[in-house]
Amino acid sequence: MSSALVAAPNSNLEGKDKVSRKKRFWFAIIAILPTFAIFGWVRMFPIAETLRLSLFEWNLLSRNKPFVGLENFRELFQDDQFLDAIINTAAIAFGAMAVTIPVSMVLAAVIYHRTRSRFAGFYETAVFIPHVVSLVPAAMAWKWVFDAKLGPLNRLIVAFGGEAQPWLFDPVLSVICIILLVSWQTLGYGVLIYLVGFRNLPKSVYEAARLDGANGVQSFFFMSVPLLKPITLYVSVVTLISGFNVYAQAFILASDTQGAPGRLVRVLVLDMLENSFQNFRVGYAAAEAVILLVIVLVLTGVQFGLLRQRGRK
Amino acid sequence: MGKLNFIGRMSTIVCLSAGITVGGHVAANAEDIVIWGGFPELQGYYERVAESMKSTHPDLNVIVEPIGLRDHEKRVALALSSGLDETTVFELIGSTANRYIVNDLLPSAPANVAGFVNNAANFEPFFQEVAAVDGKVYGVPIFRGQGALFYNTDMFAAAGLDGPPKTMAEYTEYAKKLTQRDASGNPTVSGWSLRLSGGGGGIAEKFWINLHQFGGSLLEKAGDGYKASYANDAGLAALRQYVEAVSGDKTVTVEMPADAAAFQREQTAMFIRESWVIGDTAKKAPNLNYKTALLPRGSIALPVNLYVAGGSEKAQKAAWEFAIEANKPEHLIWMLDNVGWLPNRSGVDYSSVTTAKPQFSAFVDLPDDYAFFTLPSIEPINEILTRFAAKLTEAYADSSLVGNDAAMMAVLEESAAETNKILDRAGILGK
Repeated sequence: MSSALVAAPNSNLEGKDKVSRKKRFWFAIIAILPTFAIFGWVRMFPIAETLRLSLFEWNLLSRNKPFVGLENFRELFQDDQFLDAIINTAAIAFGAMAVTIPVSMVLAAVIYHRTRSRFAGFYETAVFIPHVVSLVPAAMAWKWVFDAKLGPLNRLIVAFGGEAQPWLFDPVLSVICIILLVSWQTLGYGVLIYLVGFRNLPKSVYEAARLDGANGVQSFFFMSVPLLKPITLYVSVVTLISGFNVYAQAFILASDTQGAPGRLVRVLVLDMLENSFQNFRVGYAAAEAVILLVIVLVLTGVQFGLLRQRGRK
Repeated sequence: MGKLNFIGRMSTIVCLSAGITVGGHVAANAEDIVIWGGFPELQGYYERVAESMKSTHPDLNVIVEPIGLRDHEKRVALALSSGLDETTVFELIGSTANRYIVNDLLPSAPANVAGFVNNAANFEPFFQEVAAVDGKVYGVPIFRGQGALFYNTDMFAAAGLDGPPKTMAEYTEYAKKLTQRDASGNPTVSGWSLRLSGGGGGIAEKFWINLHQFGGSLLEKAGDGYKASYANDAGLAALRQYVEAVSGDKTVTVEMPADAAAFQREQTAMFIRESWVIGDTAKKAPNLNYKTALLPRGSIALPVNLYVAGGSEKAQKAAWEFAIEANKPEHLIWMLDNVGWLPNRSGVDYSSVTTAKPQFSAFVDLPDDYAFFTLPSIEPINEILTRFAAKLTEAYADSSLVGNDAAMMAVLEESAAETNKILDRAGILGK
């Protein structure tokens, strides 16, 4: 038998395999194409369009929309309101993260270690409800809680001998109010993710620690906290990004049909909306959106960097 | 067989599609008009107007959709810039509408409507001018916002005051006497409720009303354009009065309940507001003893007009007829009586309402030298007001400004520079 005769069936098989792989490849491409098309249309196109608009003096009503290069960005960094919005938004995002991470981790630990309780389901639901509840009525309820004259928070403070605070009017306290509201809403999500993390932690490590004499608190701080680092990174970035997108909370806490509703805490999204639809400066607002995008991208990059570092270790 | 089934299914789909298309076409032919307003309290008024058109327009379907003013302004901007399918009647303040008109986003009114508006028997020249641009009519005047002082007569009597303040100095003195305090000296009822917080340009607009009493104005005409005109003695006097009320005399605080709601709950003794408060108070605090008074020098007058855009020619015709119907005396008298906004139409006998509700006297019985001002019809007016409002909010809450005229003037100068920058960017900074 010549080598050519032996090789013939193999090359046939290879050829068929090649054709089959090619078919599979094109099937995969065709199958994924609609998803890519939708993603491109609803995600990538608006981002590209926002980048384009940021380079124009794009007035919503005017026919003349001249190219201005980076002028919008230059103006932004001299704009007190924008700088104020950046500072407030960053304070809210990092503040909410600082509250959410430890509180949700502790709550998840308590819920996880009390799963035998017949109220376990109730605890989980109670913590998660704020995350799914509609933002507007929730913010309205919090507005009442923070009310300087009628709010239960001030009544509680006064009952304990403290002094009533103008929660919604003081420049610092009004930001704290938004941090609390954002944290209250994101807490449920954080707890849920941490619970998944707790359930995936190896039990043997805890048993070994228990045999070595570690108590619950020591196990939590020296084992759970380091082992949950990837979860913490994930929750921190999700919280931070949602914090940077804060809008409705600031809007509702400062709005009212009449009178003295509260101090308007200027945040990035609110400033963007005001510039777009009240001042009609869509190009300028697009430049703000680009800066918000850069901030979010940098934060995501930092998260990936930290995760990779951990992977290498 | 399979082929027949396929043909049968396709025929069904084609017939259904045709049915939907025809149905849609029929629906589109119906006289549907949408009313977009920024004053939710007027819903009943527009529904009443729609009801009265039923006899002449049995097919007319009027959908009334009022929302809060700021959100209304946003939806109008979006709708007009991106196009409208349905014929819509817009309620817009004249100065706001101007920016759409100059950009050809609002059509002019047909000849019969223009004739109605330009008829001197129907409207005074001021309202005709606000409804037109370059002599061409675009809107139908409907009502106006105009300020006056509302004061609680029981509180005035308790403080030994037998009438309203007549000068701005008296406003401050009266506020001191009217403020009620707890044992620690903290105010529990404000002597004079001022707009001190919140978003939007309302804070600046209210400041402008007080500034007007001192003879000042936020903007002044300069050549073909405008320039900021509040970094001066009048501006300083107005700002000083606010700062001293909040941080000096503490006759009002930032966190105190304010505005009409506070007045109706007797949490403030007096405040300046538009006439709608009369209708609102009749509903919410019918037993409140109060009167109204003229402001020392004059008031803001913000005329609101009805504009039409979008949809078919037929529906647009019906929409313009709606705007004229809304100006019928019986509807206007109903609006004044039940809502409290001041109708703009002349030659209507409103005395049945103004006699029964004497609080309207400060809005209709005006001396000849009573000076009105209105917001100029310039595109960046909202931005100017909003940015100035942000500066004012900070200033009102800054106790270090009390007694420091130089610091207050610095705030005004910084704000005026920002205002002029906005005007310059819009190409309308006067020399």
